[in-house]
Amino acid sequence: MKRRYLGVLILAAILMMNIVFTQYMVHQYYYENYENVLIFGGLNIVLFPLAVFAYKKTINMRA
Amino acid sequence: MSDKNNKIPFNEDNYTHNIERNNERKLDRRGFMKTLVGAAGVFAVSSLPWGAVAAKELMGLGEKEYPHKKITDVSNLPIGDAVEFKFPGDHDDAILIRLSENKYVAYQNACTHLRCPVFWVKEQGEMICPCHHGKFDVETGAPTAGPPRRPLPEIQVKVENGSIYAVRVKRYEA
Ligand code: FES
Repeated sequence: MKRRYLGVLILAAILMMNIVFTQYMVHQYYYENYENVLIFGGLNIVLFPLAVFAYKKTINMRA
Repeated sequence: MSDKNNKIPFNEDNYTHNIERNNERKLDRRGFMKTLVGAAGVFAVSSLPWGAVAAKELMGLGEKEYPHKKITDVSNLPIGDAVEFKFPGDHDDAILIRLSENKYVAYQNACTHLRCPVFWVKEQGEMICPCHHGKFDVETGAPTAGPPRRPLPEIQVKVENGSIYAVRVKRYEA
C-alpha cells in the first residue's frame, strides 16, 4: 500500500462515518430520542475539523 | 498621431496573462481530498438544524398544546369505517378509525417508511401503505409487515356531545 493514499483512505472513512451518523441522527429524531440526535449531530460536526486535520497532515506525504 | 495603441502594453509574464489551461479539469489527489473535506463540511453544517430542533424539543418548547380539533360527528362514522383529517397542522394527515361502539383509534397516517398515506382496509382489519406494502397494526400503530420500522404516531381522541375531537399527538414511550 502506497503511503500517499493514506489521506484519501482516512477521508473516505470519515465520510463513511458521516453518512452513518447522519442516518442515525435522522432516525433517532423521528423516534423522538432527542439526546441521541444531539450526540450524533455533534459527532458529525466534530468529524469536519478532523477531516481538515487529516488533509493537512497527509497532503504532503511522499510515496 | 501618437503611437500609443501600437505598443505591446506589457510583457506576457504577469498575473493576468499567465493562465495555464492545460489539464485544468483534471482531478488530482489533492483536489479529490479537498472535495472529501468539503463533503465532511456539508455534513457538519447540515447536522446543525437537526440538533437545533432536537435541543428545542429537549427544552420542552415542542410540547405545546394544540387546540382540540373536531374531526367528525359520531353519527357520521359507522363502526369499522375510517375518516381522514388533519392534525395538528393543516398539512399533517391523520386517520381516525372506529373499531367498535366506543373504541376509536387515530394515527398520523404518513407512513414511517417514506411518508406515503396509510389507509384503512376494513375487510382485512389492517392499515396498509400502498407504496411498498407496509402494514400497521390498527390497535397500536406498530408496523407488522413491509419496510416500516417505526410505529405510526398515535393521536389521542375524545368524544364529547356526539362529536369526536383530536386532543394531542402521543409521544413514543422512551
Ligand atoms: S412508504 Fe409506506 S411502505 Fe414505503
